Amino acid sequence: MNPDFTDKVPTIEQIADLLTDISCELMSAGAHTMRIIQNVSRMAETFGYKIDVSVFQLSIMMTITSKEDPTKRLTVIKKTRHLVLNFTIVSDLSALSWDTYDQQLGYDEIKKRFHEIISQKRMSRWLVLFLVACANASFCALFKGDFQAIGLVFIATLAGFFVRQEMVKRHINHLVMFTTCAFVASLLAGLGYVLHWGNTPEIALASSVLYLIPGVPLINSILDIIEGHILTGIARLVNATSLIVCIAIGLFTSMLILGLEKL
Amino acid sequence: MITTEMIRLMLIDGLLAAIAAIGFAVISNPSRKAIFVSAFLAAIGHALRFFLIKSGLEISLATFVAASCIGLLSILFARLIHCPAEVFSFPSLLPMIPGLFAYRTILSLIKFMQSADPIKNQGFMMDFFHNGLTTVFILFALVVGVSLPVLLFPKLSFSVTRKY
Repeated sequence: MNPDFTDKVPTIEQIADLLTDISCELMSAGAHTMRIIQNVSRMAETFGYKIDVSVFQLSIMMTITSKEDPTKRLTVIKKTRHLVLNFTIVSDLSALSWDTYDQQLGYDEIKKRFHEIISQKRMSRWLVLFLVACANASFCALFKGDFQAIGLVFIATLAGFFVRQEMVKRHINHLVMFTTCAFVASLLAGLGYVLHWGNTPEIALASSVLYLIPGVPLINSILDIIEGHILTGIARLVNATSLIVCIAIGLFTSMLILGLEKL
Repeated sequence: MITTEMIRLMLIDGLLAAIAAIGFAVISNPSRKAIFVSAFLAAIGHALRFFLIKSGLEISLATFVAASCIGLLSILFARLIHCPAEVFSFPSLLPMIPGLFAYRTILSLIKFMQSADPIKNQGFMMDFFHNGLTTVFILFALVVGVSLPVLLFPKLSFSVTRKY
């Protein structure tokens, strides 16, 4: 950042920019609305400002008002990035907001720590791929699938999640991505039916697409609705539901191709 | 009743749920401590639900009890490791997502669409509503159960990351 600004009292524009950045980052990392509002309000409090925030699915709107001089106010709108879940960011930013409040951190210190937090590296994608496949296989075991079914689900999830990672990298539309991944995974898992492997092929087919279920957005949406942020909650709910419909379409397509509808 | 066989089944159930929770937790990239906590909570929650269902409770009610148990424990752990409760309570709920019911809902819908026999269609429609409603109620039970502590103790659950 510009060295001229260090050691000075930050301007209202600087603070508004920092706070909108933080709230957009929280939004795209998958925090629920109440947490976003609480965190940024706490930080604004430290600088002697009061803020009113509206959180939407695609943008965050914030009016920041000085407590000493109410004529000094600014309204900022910032577009959020698309949802990439990252709970490390949520918990670190939440801790940062309390540190700011308790230790009266300065503007530069907060900005430095904010950039450190958002530039942390994610877990290795291959490890994630393997763990997700294990998780889905054990899901299949929870539904009382036999060993053939568990093996099939493991392979189907490996393939499906790999496709998903590649498509995320290429920024392909979410809905297309979910349909394709569900299709790939259920097509592989459906082979159990075609080749008559094991006694529980229907469980393999059913659990092969479960790694795609958008659990966090679903829970966030209900939490938002319960806490009174009904508009944001409904937006999240519609988003999650459309993803689930896409999963169903992918599953449906592969079931029609494999001819399982007669079963 | 609690027998050794029952305990063995519950342990297996909990272990599988823990593996599932770890896998679903890593998608959302939490810290390492949070992953272990969510595995532990998932094991407890799922084994509890398994026990309740085996002792004759209806599945969505059992899910509600298990989810509120996870919610309460997650606030406790959140205070211990200074991390927001939802970071590990969300992944530990995921093994309880009613995937099989959702699948059967879609299956009966497909069968309903493709069949022309009115008598069979009645059966498919009944399957559709039975499985669909079970799916929806379990989902609601999960979310309301886990957010119950957040609603009961809002101050506590928003200040867990505070260190002083």
